[in-house]
Amino acid sequence: MNEPVDDYRRVQLPLSRETARDLKLGEVVVLDGEIAATIGLPTHKRILEYIAAGEPLPLDLGGALFHLSICSEARDGGFDPLYVNPTTSTRFNAMLPSIIRTFDLHALSGKGGLGEDCVRAMRDTGCVYFSMVGGSSTLLSRGVKEILITAWDDLIMQFRLTRVRLEGFGPLTVAIDAHGNSLYENLSQTARERMPDILARLNAGRAAVR
Amino acid sequence: MAITYDLMKDTTARLYEWSLKKIPEDTKDALRAACETETLEAGKKVLRFMLKAAEAAENNDKFVCSDAGVPTYFVKIGTKAQFDGDIKQAIADGFDELCRTIQPPLLKFVTNPLTNERGFKGKDMPIVSYDLISNADYVDITCSPKALGSGRWAALEIFVSPTLETIEAYIMECVLKAGSQHCPPVVIGVGIGGSFDHAAKMAKLATLRPFGETNPEPILADMEKRLLKAVNETGFGPMGTGGSTTALGVHINYSAGHGFTPVAVCFNCWINRRTHARIYNSGEVVRYE
Repeated sequence: MNEPVDDYRRVQLPLSRETARDLKLGEVVVLDGEIAATIGLPTHKRILEYIAAGEPLPLDLGGALFHLSICSEARDGGFDPLYVNPTTSTRFNAMLPSIIRTFDLHALSGKGGLGEDCVRAMRDTGCVYFSMVGGSSTLLSRGVKEILITAWDDLIMQFRLTRVRLEGFGPLTVAIDAHGNSLYENLSQTARERMPDILARLNAGRAAVR
Repeated sequence: MAITYDLMKDTTARLYEWSLKKIPEDTKDALRAACETETLEAGKKVLRFMLKAAEAAENNDKFVCSDAGVPTYFVKIGTKAQFDGDIKQAIADGFDELCRTIQPPLLKFVTNPLTNERGFKGKDMPIVSYDLISNADYVDITCSPKALGSGRWAALEIFVSPTLETIEAYIMECVLKAGSQHCPPVVIGVGIGGSFDHAAKMAKLATLRPFGETNPEPILADMEKRLLKAVNETGFGPMGTGGSTTALGVHINYSAGHGFTPVAVCFNCWINRRTHARIYNSGEVVRYE
């Protein structure tokens, strides 16, 4: 079945520095290429332990770390993807700045965005954050073509570090760009600025009814 | 005739599966209506994609979201209902069987908060609460599994003799704090009054109310309307892409209490999981959303 992904800019991973810096805040894209994925807090902690010990990770992040939950089915010598879905990235706020810088990441993805320390680290490495639509598992899953390798299989399925190949994955919104701009921060700031007027209208409306 | 263990087990398991694979019709209608009223093109695109994603899940027997959530049931027992077997055990066994047999398989989400171990089973799982319905010859069951995305933003604060202004400001504070993290457009449930536990339960139950029902309490009907407008003026929009659709509804329950007034606020993400069934003494099962 054809999803409405064809209207959007196709972007190839790994992103070149130029492409990462060229992606505009709010731009909607569809991805092709390879990513590393996990939604595990223990996984992020373990990555930090490897960084501290100076050990190489069991698989190459390839510059792209996605907070994508993957359910897969075992077959001879590997796994086939069954379905995927994003998780809330802000859960990993404390751990990501170090991961972004150490592995020179150029693409992150999940839902809900990231905190300001992460945005700063992303600006330093030239990294963008793609927002996935939560609850669109069936459509997003169609863009996950192959599970290439999994690591840390002692963890539960969605926590494992998994390298997958995407084809026509999306649509995704560039929600944090490589220049330190965040749609989340912009919208939060706008909402905070609007709040006094919003509360005033709430009160004025009540007074009119009572 | 009586409501049997097998009927209870099968019905509660099916309610769970149904909640994972199909979003309620009234929620689809609300999303379609929002496609028309949404002021930003980016927001409209996200809403249209959500509708397509929900339809794709429903038509292909797939999950709307990969996170199956904490299994949660509300069971209301008619005082004239007759039971044959351990219906409490039936709910736990139904969930157990579902975890072993459902296709596609579930990921492990039931978490022990003391050790962070995850599995399909856990203490007090599934979470079931019970109530009574006078003179009814049926049992009414609601299934509403809750996942982290929207679950983590629920909040409760206890005020002392608050004004409506204070209550509304607190609700807006919760909205601001959640931002777009809870997969908007959301349904916001509020519980005002009672006790700590009762306010939380009222808020949760408020999220389950279908769209379009007017609150019978005029003060709350007015508050719901004003708050919905206020929430949508924040501008977070569908999935935080910006826009005028951050909430599809604000639903408020209240109860009498004391001078201390708990105000509980919780959120249902756009997929708005909720399924219901009634099992009659006759063995008839009526499912509704």
